[in-house]
Amino acid sequence: MPVIELNHISKYFGKFAAVKDLSLTVEKGEFFGFIGPNGAGKSTTMNMILNFIKHNGGSVKLFGEEMPAANLAVKKRIGYVPSDVRFYPQLRVQDLIRYTMDFHDMEENKKEMDELCDLFQVDRKKKFGDLSLGNKKKVAIVCAMIHRPELLILDEPTNGLDPLMHARLFRLMKKRQKEGATIFLSSHNLKEVEDYCSKIAFIRSGQLIGVEDLTKMNKKVKVITIKGRQLPIRQMKAIGAELISETDHEARFMYEKGMAQLFSTLSNLAPELDDVTVANRDLEEQFMSMYERQEGERL
Amino acid sequence: MTLFRLECKTHIKSLMIWIVVVAVLTLGLMSMFPSMKDSMSTFDMSTMPKDMLKAFNLSDMAALATVGGYFGYVFQYIMIASAIFAAMLGLNSLAREESEGTIEYLYAQPISRSSIAASKMLANILLYTLYWLVTAAVSFLVCLLFKDSGTSASELFKDFSLFALAGWVMGLTFFSIGFLLSSMLSSSKSAMSLSLGLVFLTFILGIVGKLQDDFQFLIYFSPIEAATPSRVFQDGIEGKYMLTDIIVLIICCLATFWIYRRKDLKV
Repeated sequence: MPVIELNHISKYFGKFAAVKDLSLTVEKGEFFGFIGPNGAGKSTTMNMILNFIKHNGGSVKLFGEEMPAANLAVKKRIGYVPSDVRFYPQLRVQDLIRYTMDFHDMEENKKEMDELCDLFQVDRKKKFGDLSLGNKKKVAIVCAMIHRPELLILDEPTNGLDPLMHARLFRLMKKRQKEGATIFLSSHNLKEVEDYCSKIAFIRSGQLIGVEDLTKMNKKVKVITIKGRQLPIRQMKAIGAELISETDHEARFMYEKGMAQLFSTLSNLAPELDDVTVANRDLEEQFMSMYERQEGERL
Repeated sequence: MTLFRLECKTHIKSLMIWIVVVAVLTLGLMSMFPSMKDSMSTFDMSTMPKDMLKAFNLSDMAALATVGGYFGYVFQYIMIASAIFAAMLGLNSLAREESEGTIEYLYAQPISRSSIAASKMLANILLYTLYWLVTAAVSFLVCLLFKDSGTSASELFKDFSLFALAGWVMGLTFFSIGFLLSSMLSSSKSAMSLSLGLVFLTFILGIVGKLQDDFQFLIYFSPIEAATPSRVFQDGIEGKYMLTDIIVLIICCLATFWIYRRKDLKV
């Protein structure tokens, strides 16, 4: 049973469609990345998942239960880290964590609280309003994880975190994933998405433009960079390579056919070439290619 | 219950400040009573327009020489302040969560929108009730302090009991209107100006209703006028006005729940 199931949801603000007919499924135990440029509709989609805003059409199901009817039951199983953390500034961090546990009807779990606070070096005595951006984010992470949620929804969780905390957060998420949790991560940082997510969804202008299985994606598509005075663009296109970019002495191609044919072509062209590199296509290439394809132009 | 506690904790400081300010103000105003009483006989207000005297509850000058009458006059201004406090509690209750962004934390927790509204409503009603109880008790004690020998303490207590009830319902009425507005707003920035506007508008309606017989119905729209101590001490609680307040209160609270459950929260 999918943990998140969005079926043809839309959201209109007046006449403006922030999200249009979006369908998405996140299976249990997945580390799911949700990426798109600013204003693409990522936050609106997350807000609909969490029932902050109502969707205009379609349905949202979490753990197989229809939202917003199942809001209360479902929220017990969710941890959420917002992009812009604005908790009660007058409360001490330890009180915020305690309130979170109270909301989840948990007995005060001091061991868990100590572990998480120590891991993220959270000063529990300080007032939330006195914390820096990064420390506020760490408190949000502790509050989101303290009740061991089955679904973690994170919106730009690493904003403001130093590299050490960044690494600890992802290590913890991976651990929770192994224990059965599902992670839904929205991020601009393609490197972190590529490193940790098993599946990603691309969104643009409120529409889902693709869902990719990252483990398969890297093996399938190669990016070939050729340097030389005479660039073999015609020959490369003839074997099915797609030109990504071109300068006077460098051309980049995307290629997903047989390696034998590629190497045979390249060896014939070898005298005219200065350098050739073949690499797995990374997420950035994939991201760019999807957007370019949708826009119908090279970025 | 968690949100109820959180809400009480959030507002406890401002409640204390309001209580102290109003108590000091009441004490200060009432401390002028002995000197006012002595000089009352030399006052000649007959040259003042009668409507103006009536508008400011000064038409019965003889009453001003009694502790109840004097209290009734000066305390109407504290009633206005109390109404503003109540309206602000209502206006801030839901809108502030969105305005300050804390709704993103709150609504990510397992809590329904109805529970949010209910917890906030109950917490703020409790806060206003505490404020009003302390204010009424302090006022009563101050009046006892300055009362003359001819005034019976038990009579004064009876008057104060009615006045405390009327003022409580008045405050809750303003709270409920603020609460309803709060469910429609996504920012509490305008809470102060809206509270002032709401209270002064209804106060003026009450004055117009009091001055013009043809517009007497306007007193129904003026919870302050219906609960002023001078009116309550003189006529007791008027059921028709109290009933109107209670109807407004119930409608506003129900409408708040209805709207809040359906609105898009600003995050």
